[in-house]
Amino acid sequence: MAWQTVARRDVGVTVGSRSSRVLLWLTGLSVVLGAYVYPVLGSAPITTARFGGFLAGWLTTLLPFVGVLLGYGAVVNERESGALRLSLSLPNSRLDVVFGKFCSRAGLLTGTLFVSLVTAGALVVYPFGELVLGRFLAFTVVTLIFGSVWCGLGLATSLLVATRRRALVLSFAQVFLSVVVWDAVEAALRAGLDAAGVIEGALPAPAQFLLGIEPGRVFQRIVDGLVTGSIVADGQWYLNEWVALVLLVGWSVGPLGLAYASFVRRDVS
Amino acid sequence: MAAIDASAVSKRYRTELALDRVDFTVEQGETFGFLGPNGAGKSTFINMLLDFAKPTAGSVRIFGHDCQAAGVAARGRIGVLPEGYSVYERLTGRQHIEYAIHSKEADDDPVEILDRVGIRDDADRLASDYSKGMAQRLVLGMALVGEPDLLILDEPSTGLDPNGAARMREILREENERGATVFFSSHILEQVEAVCDRVGILRDGELVAVDTIDGLRDSLGGGTKLVITVAEFVEGMLEAVSAVDGVETAVTAGDRSIEVTCVDDAKMDILVELNALGVDVVNFRTDEASLEDMFIEYTGARR
Repeated sequence: MAWQTVARRDVGVTVGSRSSRVLLWLTGLSVVLGAYVYPVLGSAPITTARFGGFLAGWLTTLLPFVGVLLGYGAVVNERESGALRLSLSLPNSRLDVVFGKFCSRAGLLTGTLFVSLVTAGALVVYPFGELVLGRFLAFTVVTLIFGSVWCGLGLATSLLVATRRRALVLSFAQVFLSVVVWDAVEAALRAGLDAAGVIEGALPAPAQFLLGIEPGRVFQRIVDGLVTGSIVADGQWYLNEWVALVLLVGWSVGPLGLAYASFVRRDVS
Repeated sequence: MAAIDASAVSKRYRTELALDRVDFTVEQGETFGFLGPNGAGKSTFINMLLDFAKPTAGSVRIFGHDCQAAGVAARGRIGVLPEGYSVYERLTGRQHIEYAIHSKEADDDPVEILDRVGIRDDADRLASDYSKGMAQRLVLGMALVGEPDLLILDEPSTGLDPNGAARMREILREENERGATVFFSSHILEQVEAVCDRVGILRDGELVAVDTIDGLRDSLGGGTKLVITVAEFVEGMLEAVSAVDGVETAVTAGDRSIEVTCVDDAKMDILVELNALGVDVVNFRTDEASLEDMFIEYTGARR
């Protein structure tokens, strides 16, 4: 299979790069470190399920950065240098290249997350904690998808632009919008509408849904619903964790799919 | 089935027409040279064969597979040396060849291929540290993986020293003898003349000629060049020679020489005419029109 050949080569190249190794180590270590301090900082009871809630906030900040940094150069680097011409003059399709790259980069990140979460789970359980296996597994799976989402968003920018610099700027704009601007917009909107007397305290459910479409919030809602069980949705069905799960899967394939559709139509200059 | 079949293929970039209804076929087993000055559209055409670019109109096929609709199948049995490539960072020469072997699902020995293109000793160095000529040899090696039925090479001798260029020609000849079709673009005429069965000449996106080198010679009015050395020039001599049937041009070259291009049959008439004028012919020789003469004739490169 051609995509596997692309993926295998890309894993070798990515692991060979120091900056990628640093990113992966940073991710792994911070998850394990979180597990190390959680029994000390967290409130009782100490369980692997509640650990998920403890870690989720940090992951919504960390994984967007790590994901796009791993993904943004995947195709545009080779396109800019001309190495992409070698890949595409072999019997590889553009889909093989994109899918192989995605599997390689997202695979390295999810692999790192998986190993570090298993280690973290063990650290939480031993010596005082309680293992809540099902919910911890759910947390692990959702975290892996969330990491892939950001890798995919980085890769999508890599497909859309012609230079590495533009891909980097566009990727960081996404992360900045998602991690920093989004909260500020929500807070401003709520304060404004509240002061104007339009709403009392909370935004109406449709507005909550729209603001909640951002990947980090989707992730948080799934963790709240499926892992810690601290449901925050106020009755509207479209605010529940299952809809959020569908949205998260949508984020993992939608942007990349659209970017691929554009990439496959364009000339490789 | 033709190795390459282009039917009325055009490519427009915004305002510029890079290729204009190019129509020709390359038969299996031949060595075909694709000639033209820089910017004539050679690379644009090859980019469409490889689906780097899509035609604005018309289509190109490799062994019957449409290069756009069935690109992977079209590239399945070919070896490519594209232009404007770069090698992968962080991969050695050997890993490059291995990547090509996996992609083509072939079972070649990487070392054997590296040996063939003359960079065996550098197999385990990072290819990004290679010189331009070594990189060119490496990518030629990748093209040779899997005994392809068709080799597509864009300006293959770029960056090669004379030894490398000679080795390249030798490899192309070996591959052709094995049964592979060879298609390459070049603006270096000696190279084309040395190895090609047929050539296509491209000018400003239009294919102005497709023929064997002999055929091109014939179609250029016989293409014979007569160089006549005389004792001394005589008034009205050039006009008289120009007036002979079958003469295309007559110019003086140096103090005592005249160069005449004409059809074969006119040679004797010219000498007779000069004799009648009382010109003393010291020496004469005929040159076959070189590919370069024909190239200039077809592409108007001197204009």
